[in-house]
Amino acid sequence: MQIMRLIVTGPVGAGKSTFIQSVSEIQVVDTDRRATDATTLSLKHKTTVAFDFGRLQFSPKMALHLYGTPGQARFDFMWDLLICKAHIYMLLVAAHRPHEFRYARRMLSFMQHRSRAPYIVGITHTDKEGAWELEDLPIALGLLDETTRPPLVVVNPRDAESVKRSIVVLIRHFIQQRKDQKAPPRAATAVTIAS
Amino acid sequence: MINVEKLNNVLQSFVSGTADVQGAAVVTPDGLPLATMLPSGMDDERVAAMSAAILSLGERIGKELVRGLVDRIFVQGDKGYGILTSCGEDAVFLVLAGESAKQGLVMLEIKRTVSELMQLLV
Repeated sequence: MQIMRLIVTGPVGAGKSTFIQSVSEIQVVDTDRRATDATTLSLKHKTTVAFDFGRLQFSPKMALHLYGTPGQARFDFMWDLLICKAHIYMLLVAAHRPHEFRYARRMLSFMQHRSRAPYIVGITHTDKEGAWELEDLPIALGLLDETTRPPLVVVNPRDAESVKRSIVVLIRHFIQQRKDQKAPPRAATAVTIAS
Repeated sequence: MINVEKLNNVLQSFVSGTADVQGAAVVTPDGLPLATMLPSGMDDERVAAMSAAILSLGERIGKELVRGLVDRIFVQGDKGYGILTSCGEDAVFLVLAGESAKQGLVMLEIKRTVSELMQLLV
């Protein structure tokens, strides 16, 4: 049995906790506390202060351990703890809150500094008023290079099927990346032998 | 309305009046500082967030592993202690003490200070 750690991250209110609750087979270990800061309160009453934990049997041979990070930057020590153990991760971004795109970019660069794990971007709240078009989002998130850009998927965290589809995209991306990574070292070895 | 000045006074007299206590903070359960008296170089926002994270995990352990309501969380390192005490529904009290601190004394002072703080927080 293979265990994969999937970290779900993103700004406050993107849908991280809901995402995990939708697909977890065990009762989610949550660490919700009543929110007191204005930014969080404008979106919801409760907020994650350590992490959410859920589990999903993805295939007979693979179980996913899902961890959700807190959204606020004051909890960046939790981001650090969680991302360093990640096999794969997903950045969730709400399409209708463009003022958070820059913050999401910051979160992403924090993660990329610490982890080379494959990731995808999940776009949530696409049905809300003021939601950005999908094709405009990569630029807004600073993912300019089309060749290295991770897959973008629309996901509804409340809908278990939608969440599962996004996880499938992430796992496929992971497998693809692993294949790509394996190719160059082999070539390098061949060169060494020849010389 | 919470009297921040009184809150700070209680913290200050606790830190300066208890031997080997290096710092203390009162924070909200979602990790924001209410009042802090911390050693220089420690960021109060970060300390507040860490206190909230460990308390919420501790409470989760209390519940899921049937340890009941959590009174305090105790972190013991070779350089000292970090002690978190629940301070009613709206606050958490964090104390940082050196390794030579007398535990009994610190605990007694924490108990006394928590009851003072609770009166200020209602």
